[in-house]
Amino acid sequence: MARKIPKIVCALFGVTLFVLFFSQHPSAKSLNLAILNEYFQIIFAFTLLVGVVSFVKINLKGVERGEDRPYRIVSILGVFVVPLLALIWGIKGDSPFMWVFENIQVPMQATVFALLAFFVASASFRGFRARSVQATILLVAALIMLISRSSIGDVIADEIPQVADWVRSYPSMSARRAILIGIGLGSLTTSLRVIIGIERTWLGGDK
Amino acid sequence: MKKLESRHYVFLGLFVVIVAAMLINVKLDIKVSAETQKMYDYIDSLPQGSVLMVSFDHEASAVPEIKPLALTILRHAFKKGHRLIGVSLLAEGTGIGYRLMQETAREYDKVYGRDLVYLGFKPQYIAAILSMGESIPETFPEDYLGRPYTQFPLLDSVENYDDVAGVISIADGSLTTHWIEYARARYGVTVTAAVAAVMMTTYDPYIGSGQLHAMVGGLRGAAEYEKLLKIGGSGRRGMLAQTSAHVYVIIMIIIGNVIYIAERKRKSGA
Repeated sequence: MARKIPKIVCALFGVTLFVLFFSQHPSAKSLNLAILNEYFQIIFAFTLLVGVVSFVKINLKGVERGEDRPYRIVSILGVFVVPLLALIWGIKGDSPFMWVFENIQVPMQATVFALLAFFVASASFRGFRARSVQATILLVAALIMLISRSSIGDVIADEIPQVADWVRSYPSMSARRAILIGIGLGSLTTSLRVIIGIERTWLGGDK
Repeated sequence: MKKLESRHYVFLGLFVVIVAAMLINVKLDIKVSAETQKMYDYIDSLPQGSVLMVSFDHEASAVPEIKPLALTILRHAFKKGHRLIGVSLLAEGTGIGYRLMQETAREYDKVYGRDLVYLGFKPQYIAAILSMGESIPETFPEDYLGRPYTQFPLLDSVENYDDVAGVISIADGSLTTHWIEYARARYGVTVTAAVAAVMMTTYDPYIGSGQLHAMVGGLRGAAEYEKLLKIGGSGRRGMLAQTSAHVYVIIMIIIGNVIYIAERKRKSGA
C-alpha cells in the first residue's frame, strides 16, 4: 500500500497535467493555472525545507566531528542569519538582505566563477595536447574559437570568424542536435515509464 | 615554503596579463557579427511603445559578463521608446534585474509604472512560464515592491503573452531553453536571448531552427552591441582583458604542445 498510493497519485497527476497542457477548454485552463500557481509552489516550498534541513544536519555533524569546522559554522550561520534579515527588514531596495546579497554573495560567486579562467589556462598548458588526429582537430577548433571570440580574429583575417561560424553551424550544431533529440526521446520514455508505473526507482527501489 | 610548480607560474602569468590589460586604456575595434546585428535589428524594428518582457534568468556568479549585455539591451529598448516588464525566474537574478532596470530607466528619464514595471521572482520556472501564458496578473498579482498589478498603466492592457511583443531572456545557463520550449512552442511568443558566451553553442540549434529569433552572447556580444548603439560601456572596456586572456591561453597551448612534441621526439630517439 505504501508504494501503491504514491504510484496512483503520480499516474493521476501525470495524465491530468498531460491532458491539461493540450486542452483549450476554459475549465481545463483554469485548473491548469491553479496547479501551476498554487500546487507547484507548495511542492517547491516543501523541497526547499527538505534541502535546508538536510544541509543543516550534514553541517552540524561535520562541526561535531571537527571537519572543516570554521567553514561549516559560516555556512550554518548564513542559512539562519540571511533569512532572519529578510524576515525583519524585507528583501527589497536597500534592505540589509540586499546589502548582504550585493556585497557578499555577488562578489564571492563572481570570484569563484572567475577562478575558472586560471584553471582553464593551467589545463590548456598541461593537458590540451595533440596526442592523436582527433585531439588535434579539437585543438585547432578550440584555437579558432578562442581567436574569433577575441578582437584579434578580425585583425588577423576575415576568414577566422567565418571558419568559427562554420564550426558552430555544422559540426557543433549537428552534435548538439543529436544530443537534444536523444535527451528529448529519453525524457519522453522515462516520463511514460514513471506515469505507467514501470519505472519505480523514484520510490526508493525497484521492488 | 612550498615549492612553486609550473601551474603556479601559469596562474601568475594570467593574473599579470589581465591586470595589465585592465590598466591600459585601449579601445579595440571589433566587427559586428551577424547574430548581434539581428538582435539589434529586432529591437530596432519594433514599433515605438512595444511591450517587451525581460527575464533575468541568471545567477550572481555571471554578473561581470551578463551586466554589460543586459545594460546594452535595456538601453536600446528604452532608447527606442519600448516599455519593459521585468521578471526573474532565478532568485539570484531578481535583485540584480531590479537594479539594472532602475539604473537604465533613470538614464532615459523613464517613469516606473508607465514605461517599466518589475514583477520580480516566481519560483518553479517552467510553471511560471506556462502560467504567464494563461495570465500574467494571476502569476504576479503584485510587482516586486508589493504593489498591486492593477495599479500600473503599463499593465492595463497586458493579460498574457498575446499582449507582449517578445521575451528577452538574459541568461547564464539553460533557462532560455524553457522559454523556447514552453512560451514559444505553446504560446507562439517571439523569444530572443542575451546569454553568457559559454552557452552560445547550446542555443545554436534553436537559432538554426528559428525557435530562438535572435541571440547576443558574451562580453564580445556586449561590445558589438555597444558599437551599434554608439555608446561606451563595460563590454568594450573588458574586451582588451578578454582578448589578452585568450591570447595567453593560446600561447600556453602552443608552449605545452611544443614541450610535448619535443619530449616525444626525445623519448623515441632514446
